[in-house]
Amino acid sequence: MTTSRGESAPRDRGLRPERTRHLRERRPALRSIRPRRVLDLLRRVSEVLETVVDPEVAAWSVLVAYTAGEGLGFNRSFLLLADGDQLRGWFGVGPLTRDEAREVWAEMRQHGVLPLERLAEPDSMAVESEQRRHAATLAALSHASEKGCGAWRRAFVGRSNHPNPCVRHWVAVLESRELVVVPLMASGRPWGVVLADNFVTHAPIYHATLEAAETLAHYLRAALERTQLLRRFQEERRRRMAADHATALLETARTLAHDLKNPLALAGGLARELMAAPPRNPGTLLRQLGIAAAAISRAEQRVGDLVDGLASRADGIALEPVEVGAFVDRVVEAFRPLATSRGVRLLCYHPPRPVRASAVVHSLERCLENLVVNALEALRESGGEIYAAVREDGQWVRLDVADNGQPLPAALRVDPFAGGITTRRGGSGLGLASVRTLAEAMGAKVEYDEREPGWVRFTLFLRRWS
Amino acid sequence: MNGSRLLFVDDEEGFLELYRAAFNRDGYTVETTATVDGARECLAQGGVDLVVLDIRLGEVSGLALLREIKAKDSRLPVVLATAYARYQDDFSSWLADAYIVKSSDLNELKQAVRRCLGKAR
Repeated sequence: MTTSRGESAPRDRGLRPERTRHLRERRPALRSIRPRRVLDLLRRVSEVLETVVDPEVAAWSVLVAYTAGEGLGFNRSFLLLADGDQLRGWFGVGPLTRDEAREVWAEMRQHGVLPLERLAEPDSMAVESEQRRHAATLAALSHASEKGCGAWRRAFVGRSNHPNPCVRHWVAVLESRELVVVPLMASGRPWGVVLADNFVTHAPIYHATLEAAETLAHYLRAALERTQLLRRFQEERRRRMAADHATALLETARTLAHDLKNPLALAGGLARELMAAPPRNPGTLLRQLGIAAAAISRAEQRVGDLVDGLASRADGIALEPVEVGAFVDRVVEAFRPLATSRGVRLLCYHPPRPVRASAVVHSLERCLENLVVNALEALRESGGEIYAAVREDGQWVRLDVADNGQPLPAALRVDPFAGGITTRRGGSGLGLASVRTLAEAMGAKVEYDEREPGWVRFTLFLRRWS
Repeated sequence: MNGSRLLFVDDEEGFLELYRAAFNRDGYTVETTATVDGARECLAQGGVDLVVLDIRLGEVSGLALLREIKAKDSRLPVVLATAYARYQDDFSSWLADAYIVKSSDLNELKQAVRRCLGKAR
């Protein structure tokens, strides 16, 4: 998926300060005053970057701001990061070819897609997809940071006759007439470079745009440093936890060997010895039998402790009888004002007599709330109907939550409860994953079907209370 | 090798009883102690041909006693006998002449004792 709308030329007119001509590595003596639209863009991007935790999402957000029509309007943009003496292509956004650009931009115009609107809630699939799509171009852009790169200080426009071989290489790879080069330096050495061009529209690049591109690139550098640091911190924490876990396991193994294997070896050894050479002295016989019996008894005690210890891990799950009909009425009722405001009808069906299931009330609440929220999200644009129905089904009590909104996207249908799949319908995907986790912890299960045409249904199968 | 004097060090009295019965029957002279201090005392008296040493001796590590024994007499064979096989990963245990995992079958221990006494002679 691309995020560029190819509207750089008309948009740029708004950014163009009076009396500023195209910049060609020469900056005007007077600094321009940034128009409100650029300031809004910078504020919006900086707000997004404050909460971003993934370096890839940070790169995607800034490069989308470069390429979005309502952003800086470049046709495409790329980020290269220094790796030793190399500048390696790391992330790219925008169409791959001119044909693709025209096709995608036309589609985006038709559907009124505004890429900046999605900055606040980045779609991880789109981010991954952009990484994959541009992999070959990014590899081709990688280049040794030749002498001269280290002297760059400010953003400039490069062309095929630029004196620096890096710039000539990038212009050739991207087949651009001209290319914005925003160097990012650290301690006088190249840290990275952002490249952007208008390879389809050939729109001119104005000073104000170049200046805004430079500011965004510096935001990106700060965000990347922060997110990469955070990622290293998280990896370090994971490693430490794994090491602690391994240490605890080893200590458990040592303790088990000592407390369990020792007495068993002792009892077995004494039994063998008694068989091989029964003592003539009844006192010795009795003493050795006593030692063997005590050893077995100690092992038995230790096994009992282990069993109790394992069983106590499940103590956090205390199942209780829940009258499902009344429960569903109560939870669903809490959503009625929100549903009404969105033009959604909420209906509940359950048998007139009480139907009781084994559950943990707060876990079941979380499950039902997640399912109702998911259904409301599916009806966000269109309005429609949601029903929650309770039915008895053998050893199970079925709790259906169904909506007649948009169907699940194909990526989610394979396993809607796997988690980590981000779509508008289903939110982060973690809501449905947590439904399954909570359900299984209660000995319940959750299923999804679209058997009834036009309806998406999730069913919680709760164990009937007995 | 029969008649050799063996010192068994184990904090489990039951094992000491088992070792006494099994190794006496094979003709060895068996000394036993459940403590590090008892082991030091016995070794100080002299005449011990081989030590069978547990690693977990209550709060004290048998590996520390192993280092102490080898520092005083590097030729005295020491067999480590423990319930936990992974102590072999601890380089301190490499000082020992043999390392066996405790089992109800004493054959492996008996073979190790014979092998170490044979080498020592």
